[in-house]
Amino acid sequence: MSVTPDQILDCSGLACPMPILKTKKAVDALQIGQVLKMIATDPGSSSDIAAWTQKTGHELVASEQEGDKFIFYIRRTK
Amino acid sequence: MAEKLAIVCMSGPEDPERATIPFVLAAAALASDVEVTMGFQGNGVMLVKQGCAEHVFAAGFPALKELIDAYIEAGGKMYVCGPCVNSRKLDPQKDFIPGATVVNAATFVKLFTEATNVLNY
Repeated sequence: MSVTPDQILDCSGLACPMPILKTKKAVDALQIGQVLKMIATDPGSSSDIAAWTQKTGHELVASEQEGDKFIFYIRRTK
Repeated sequence: MAEKLAIVCMSGPEDPERATIPFVLAAAALASDVEVTMGFQGNGVMLVKQGCAEHVFAAGFPALKELIDAYIEAGGKMYVCGPCVNSRKLDPQKDFIPGATVVNAATFVKLFTEATNVLNY
């Protein structure tokens, strides 16, 4: 992955809606333009992070899957 | 102007899933920059009674207490139905968690008519 994250948030093992709540806090703590790497194990996270970034206007830069882990790179835009 | 979501909870701890899912939606909505007010009517008022949520668990979800704490921390508002409180012989001043306000019908009418969407559980 060519994106270099500024912060990493591991939400492995957390049930809905906790990954979204923690992602929101972590993105709010970034500077505008910085990127959060979020790791989740809940398969619902893929649709959830896509919906959340569309709703909030933050940018889902990239996503990937490694084994049972779903990894998202989210850039704070505002 | 921010979107406003009103969520009505009519079920209490007797139905853990129906008690928990509205808080899941409410917390996720706040995290999505939506303003949220939850209304508690019928036995739903028991969810915000002091010492009740600690005993409510729905399979597959975080504990209700954890969700309520997250909801309050994120700025969620809570209205509790006055007549429903009175009929249960509860004290509107002392029996509810901080942030839960006991109100009557006109306040609910204002909430629902000003909301972008209203969800009923």
